[in-house]
Amino acid sequence: MDHSHHMEMSHMDHNTTTAPAHHHSATSASHSHDESMDHMMMMPMTFYFGFRNVELLFSGLVINTAGEMAGAFVAVFLLAVFYEGLKIGRESLLRKSQVSIRYNSMPVPGPNGTTLMETHKTVGQQMLSFPHLLQTVLHIIQVVVSYFLMLIFMTYNGYLCIAVAAGAGTGYFFFSWKKAVVVDITEHCH
Amino acid sequence: MEMHFIFSDKVVLLFDFWSVHSPAGMALSVLVVLLLAVLYESIKVGKARLLHQALVSLSIPTSQQLIEETDQDSSGSDSTPVGKTRLRWLLCHFGQSLIHVAQVVIGYFMMLAVMSYNTWIFFGVVLGSAVGYYLAYPLFSMI
Repeated sequence: MDHSHHMEMSHMDHNTTTAPAHHHSATSASHSHDESMDHMMMMPMTFYFGFRNVELLFSGLVINTAGEMAGAFVAVFLLAVFYEGLKIGRESLLRKSQVSIRYNSMPVPGPNGTTLMETHKTVGQQMLSFPHLLQTVLHIIQVVVSYFLMLIFMTYNGYLCIAVAAGAGTGYFFFSWKKAVVVDITEHCH
Repeated sequence: MEMHFIFSDKVVLLFDFWSVHSPAGMALSVLVVLLLAVLYESIKVGKARLLHQALVSLSIPTSQQLIEETDQDSSGSDSTPVGKTRLRWLLCHFGQSLIHVAQVVIGYFMMLAVMSYNTWIFFGVVLGSAVGYYLAYPLFSMI
């Protein structure tokens, strides 16, 4: 109830402020129209550029001014950079902590009827070791951050989507600089 | 917004101008989404292949060569390039980053397309991912 009152106030504010508000309502007509309806299509389903009454992830986090949008842009950008760094960091941590190497040898038939010994090498971690627990904690953080980025992209706000993409590119550029040797094409949804 | 999958010929996808309201338009949109998914899978594989090619051309040992080496010799060679190849590596890595941004954006676009909860679009995304993965994976092996 309090929130809808706040939305009404900010909607009145739209109509009485100067040109930028009208320009915003002209370029994203569907979005402001949906706001005034308020009971259908609260969530935009197409991309728009705007910074009035943008809800971001949590109920208390509403962007109303250009300054707040700039701050949100920087925060989302840093979150995406952090996500890329976390990915690369987990990879390097995994490689450093792989201590146990097990060899399995099994006889296989070779040419001319001889028997060859085929050796399989597997690397792994113990389940209760500290590196694995750390990996698990970092995995949880990575999953949560990735879902947050997905939800931010789902606001369909053009500025925030650009922040996510630019942050991902910048994070990849800086953190993957030295990780040239590791190539993993089996990961999905990065 | 309906929160369950529906079969429908009317949907608005991603942008204001992309509104579908006929079976022919829906078929075309499904084809576009399918090609987008194929592009996404091929970018994933293509990025790895480009990286491998760049490493080989700049004569930096790749992961496969290092794996073959570590069984005999455990010297920790530094993977960062030195000397005059540094600029070339910088440009190559910048290109890789741009490809990564394209991959992230297309991945999110596919997620938003599936979020429209239109079953035809969903089939297009899934089929495109399958076709793209099927066609792109052998590409990586043909280094």
